Amino acid sequence: MKIRTLKVINKMGVHARPAGAIVDITSRAQSDVFLIYGGTRANAKSILNVMMLAITPGSEVQFEINGSDEDDTFQKLEKLFNDRFNEEHYDP
Amino acid sequence: MKSTTTPKRRLMMTGVPASPGYAMGRVQKLVNQEFSVSSDPILPERVPKELSLFQKAVRQSLRELEIAKQNIQKMVSKDDARILDAQMMILQDPTLIDPVLEAIRKEHQNSRWAFHVRMKEIISQFEQSPIQLLRERSVDLSDLYNRMMALLGDSGPVMSMEGMTIEESAILIGHTLNPSHVIKLKQGQAMAFATDTGGSTSHVSILARALKIPAVSGLSDISVKAEAGDFMIVDGSNGLVIINPLDSDIKKYKAKIEAFKRQAQELLTTRRLEPQTLDGKYVKLMANIEFPMEADEVETMGATGVGLYRSEFLFIQKGNPSCEEQTEAYRYIIHRLNPLTVTIRTLDAGGDKIIPELSATDESNPFMGWRSIRVCLDKTEIFKTQLRAILRAGEGCSNLRIMFPMISSVHEIQESKRILAAVKQELLDQGVDVPPYEIGIMVEVPAAVIMVDELAREVDFFSIGTNDLIQFTLAVDRSNERIASMFQPHHPAVLRMIHHVVQAAHREGITVSVCGEMVTEPLSTLLLLGLGVDELSMTPWNIMECKKFIRSVSYEEARTMVHQVMSMSHTDEINHLLKKKYMQKISDLGISSFIVTADFNKSDRTLVKLNDHIVNLDVLE
Repeated sequence: MKIRTLKVINKMGVHARPAGAIVDITSRAQSDVFLIYGGTRANAKSILNVMMLAITPGSEVQFEINGSDEDDTFQKLEKLFNDRFNEEHYDP
Repeated sequence: MKSTTTPKRRLMMTGVPASPGYAMGRVQKLVNQEFSVSSDPILPERVPKELSLFQKAVRQSLRELEIAKQNIQKMVSKDDARILDAQMMILQDPTLIDPVLEAIRKEHQNSRWAFHVRMKEIISQFEQSPIQLLRERSVDLSDLYNRMMALLGDSGPVMSMEGMTIEESAILIGHTLNPSHVIKLKQGQAMAFATDTGGSTSHVSILARALKIPAVSGLSDISVKAEAGDFMIVDGSNGLVIINPLDSDIKKYKAKIEAFKRQAQELLTTRRLEPQTLDGKYVKLMANIEFPMEADEVETMGATGVGLYRSEFLFIQKGNPSCEEQTEAYRYIIHRLNPLTVTIRTLDAGGDKIIPELSATDESNPFMGWRSIRVCLDKTEIFKTQLRAILRAGEGCSNLRIMFPMISSVHEIQESKRILAAVKQELLDQGVDVPPYEIGIMVEVPAAVIMVDELAREVDFFSIGTNDLIQFTLAVDRSNERIASMFQPHHPAVLRMIHHVVQAAHREGITVSVCGEMVTEPLSTLLLLGLGVDELSMTPWNIMECKKFIRSVSYEEARTMVHQVMSMSHTDEINHLLKKKYMQKISDLGISSFIVTADFNKSDRTLVKLNDHIVNLDVLE
């Protein structure tokens, strides 16, 4: 089992689209993936759970990954977070 | 929910051009978000059925979202489409679904109630989120909620115009509209409407064209995308809408509206010209009308009479109108237009024209259900009352034709005639001066085409209703947007059917009219002309354009074209030939053709390249 910390560096926080992108990765993973934020541990394969954590910009979150593809899954998540969920050009 | 600080983004969406014309105004939404929902538990033995009902609704919603997503990807951007990905994920999320299934299974809740409770919990959590974008996204959840509730209910989304004041400059947005909504628009004077569902030949679209209200349908999720109060352009001629347009869009469309008015005026000059081809073949151009007051337009537009008065709209408006109410309505039309022919079609209820008092609402296939002449021959008192009203209304005139819809057997027409004769005799006995009249039938069921020789001996005229005939011949539901492209008026099977009917009618010495929507497509006009059809009946403001086209071709060339076309076995081949020969002419004449513009619409719909020659008369004052 691995627990890793990532920082949310986009402007808008984890709203629907970033949550969708996270779940897109976690749902393909063999491993169980949990997202820990603000004292809550949520199933990271559920888009509603991820969204309902209401992760604000600038905050740190922890991923708890447990399974055969722990490293691979974490690397994909890390890239997604560092790429600001691929949506910095998005100007609502 | 709606942020006031977020700047409004321009959003262009494309759908089906349902009713031509352009309009600009503020969005007013028709969707009533409050669904009626009951907490009544279900019986334990009902649980498996309820579970499968729920899962079916989920699958259907996912399909609808997938279609909407593809449209957005094509027309707007991948980025915008991703929001629907999120919706689809939510709908498959066990966090949402499992408690619902659990509540049905363990607590025997009905699926609608179980979903309602769970979804409202989630929505309220979102609404309280500290993240602004999540608060806004509660709109997406509401969309999911509405979509699912509509699918889980048996009555569709609850939409209501009750108590609503339609602003004069309003653009009405709804998931779907039914004819009774549109009828109310006439009094409300909305400027345009745009809906998620529907095609160009649904009755709502036909009505919109009759009422000269520009409309775009089949927009997938406009009812979610547009917010109340948004400024919006509706381009009913090209089937697109722009929400929050740029100044340049507005400028462009102001010019279009002006050009439209000018061209409308110019077309008015054709009013007094004869509807005949270059080589002198005369074709009667008749009007399809829904409301008695439209009789006033029939002459203005230069029509030769009324080829189809849809009497059911009186029933939709009034429930079950009395003999006096009906007589008054029919008398207005008949006397107003005498000696021009007035064809009154008897009650054609059912299908998508639901009259609460007269329609079955629990049919799985209403277009093939208890409708039209079938209702009349069942409820003979209603039928007799209408026939009595028609005969009394025609007193002193000689321009009356009575037409029975949806005839599928010789028995039905004989039975209808028997009842009509009985009503006539009663009136004669009472000393009423019954006017002369002709009797005809709508040929719109394939069985009637096959039996056309026998039917021709029973009546004075035929009127081919191409909307239903195409639908039944090709087995294509014309209101289903996914197969809308399969609704092909120029399908060889359809053309051969029309040919067969015309030949049989002329052998028997009776006339043939065509009154479906295809009449207004110039390329179809040409084929119908060449097939030997005697009358074309259409929405009144299309008549001048049609006349302009007829006056520019010869009967001889139309016959030659039909001769060529009848040997072809592919619709594409037929349309290709027609386009090749007539695209230039149609463009030069400045008249609109769905077929000519179809390729363009599919491939590239940027505003810059929009065809500026599209002309219609919907802004005619």
